[in-house]
Amino acid sequence: MSMHQEMEQTFQMFMGMVGELGKLAQPTDMPDSERVARAKKVFLEKTTWDIATELEGCIHCGLCAEACHYRIGTGDAKYTPAKKFELMRTVYRRELSPMRWLYKLILPDITARDLEEWQELVYDSCTMCARCSMICPMGIHIAELVEYTREALAEAGLIPAEIRAMQQMQYETGTIFEVSADVMEFKVKELEETHGIEIPLNKAGAEVMVLTSGLDIMLYNDALVGTAKILNHAKVNWTIWVDSFECANFGLLSGHAATLKRQADRVIDAAVKHNAKVVVVSECGHAYPALRFYGAEGWGKPLPFEVMAPSEYISKLYEEGKLKLKKPQDRKTVTLHDPCKVGRHGGIFDGPREVLKAMGLELRETENNHMTNWCCGGGAAVFLIDRAAELRQRSFEIKFGEVKATRADALVVSCGSCRLNFERGKMNAGETLPVDSFAQIVGDNLAS
Amino acid sequence: MSLLDFARGPALEWSLLIMVFGIFWRLVGTFLFKGQVYLSKPKGTRFVAAGLRTIATRSWPDERLERTIRFQHYSGYLFHITLFIVIFLFEPHIEFFKWLLGFSWPGLPTNAVTFAAAVTVATLIALGIRRATNPIMKSITNADDWLSWLVTIGPVVTGMMAFAHQNIGIRYEDLLGIHILSVCLLFIWIPFGKLMHMFLLFPGRYQIGEKFEFRGVRA
Repeated sequence: MSMHQEMEQTFQMFMGMVGELGKLAQPTDMPDSERVARAKKVFLEKTTWDIATELEGCIHCGLCAEACHYRIGTGDAKYTPAKKFELMRTVYRRELSPMRWLYKLILPDITARDLEEWQELVYDSCTMCARCSMICPMGIHIAELVEYTREALAEAGLIPAEIRAMQQMQYETGTIFEVSADVMEFKVKELEETHGIEIPLNKAGAEVMVLTSGLDIMLYNDALVGTAKILNHAKVNWTIWVDSFECANFGLLSGHAATLKRQADRVIDAAVKHNAKVVVVSECGHAYPALRFYGAEGWGKPLPFEVMAPSEYISKLYEEGKLKLKKPQDRKTVTLHDPCKVGRHGGIFDGPREVLKAMGLELRETENNHMTNWCCGGGAAVFLIDRAAELRQRSFEIKFGEVKATRADALVVSCGSCRLNFERGKMNAGETLPVDSFAQIVGDNLAS
Repeated sequence: MSLLDFARGPALEWSLLIMVFGIFWRLVGTFLFKGQVYLSKPKGTRFVAAGLRTIATRSWPDERLERTIRFQHYSGYLFHITLFIVIFLFEPHIEFFKWLLGFSWPGLPTNAVTFAAAVTVATLIALGIRRATNPIMKSITNADDWLSWLVTIGPVVTGMMAFAHQNIGIRYEDLLGIHILSVCLLFIWIPFGKLMHMFLLFPGRYQIGEKFEFRGVRA
């Protein structure tokens, strides 16, 4: 069996498992009144002056509708981003706004039915990619307001079953897809033997703590192998700690604040315990902001180490002259996808491009890239939601249309969720364009 | 007391008072909330520059975004510029501002202002039709949108009627009274609805510029 066939088979098995996830979710039943009260509490607590300015500011101009891949992909007006934060706006207007005395008289309160209705708007049809945040003339960070609405729904026990199953699993065990420390250790040994590389586990004194993910262990271990090859090539003193290896954070993905903090704290406490100077997350888009921009806030003080995305760290190694690169034999041209959580939410755009160019590859940009890049359609855990299949595919087609127009030999991605969605989307569309991991393509093309 | 006396007497005074107090109340009530607490290390450092830059760049979106919003963008510009001309560059309005503020500035010829007023009304009608028929706009439109539209187009239409009173056959004084009353309605509604965007526009853009600077991103 070829590596490609093996990958396809693993992918199918993995997707089969994802399809069953919803059945594993524990119920989160509660009275309607409690759902509403919990959701409102989140909305009220999240209102700071900047959020109040945003909620006061929307002029219903509709420009955000022209930036949203779900709205455009489906042609359905109900996916207009301005609508997605309307629940938070209603609660703000009735409870906190300077004109609340008026709004209480004319604006009906939110109901449990509203919360249920909004589940589709903020989970199934929003990846919080923030493309709409880039177009709003009033400067409303719509993605952030959707994030708070997800948090409100999570508090109200209304996370979609598939995501809830993952969130509950991670809250209890810290791991995802049932990839325990033992499974990870076993898989790492297997990868070491198969690829003839060293993946140091529990190496005392290592300056760089690398995180991996259940997704990489189960499916995209080429990204882990690539990362290991690069770090070894650059003679980085690194390790994976078995007591805290999982970078995925289904707290951020689901909006479940307690899980976000608990999972981030697990990693932070381990990094502090092991004196890590740098923590490099795996190619898992949201894992980067979860630790980089939410970690310290949950932990209660600034982090005593750097947090970097793999594409960011690899670019840094290249800039420092620690990587000798060669041209891939099977690729001449590539196009690079800017994952939302790493790009628009993390400012990592140019470094990976420089590395790909240094490999002698011709980089062909999609029409929209950097700040205006189209989302793959499956981020923010949308890739897990079974009923969102049609929405995902329609929005995937927008991005993939631009990818195909570049006529590049391959698409390079530095986010596992994006990669998963590209693989599934292209399979549905009968396309065959290779989708490479950034770490894998760099790791496979290091000059000796 | 005639209609005109009422309009430019107590109606104007009370509506101005409500507007000024209301704007102050709403702005203070919005900006007095606490700020977000950031403990993460910022990626960018030039927050003020980023905020100011975003105030400017949101007026001229990236071409790839712009191409999908040309109608809304240019009709918005057209409406706001012509409305500005009508409000601030019409000689009788400048007299009003001189009474209110104590100083004045040169105006434009009446024909130019009349043309601007016609463009304002035409653009507002076009935008109104779009709001009433476009599925996206319909899905997000509420009473505030229509009320704000009405109190904005009202003074322009009544002002044009007052200007053309000889052709309409109603006394100039009555039409002027109606015009001033329609302006009073506009003044009263400003603090309550979305017309407050004239004051929230720059703070909104500034804060999102800062937010994305924190992430090392040019918004």
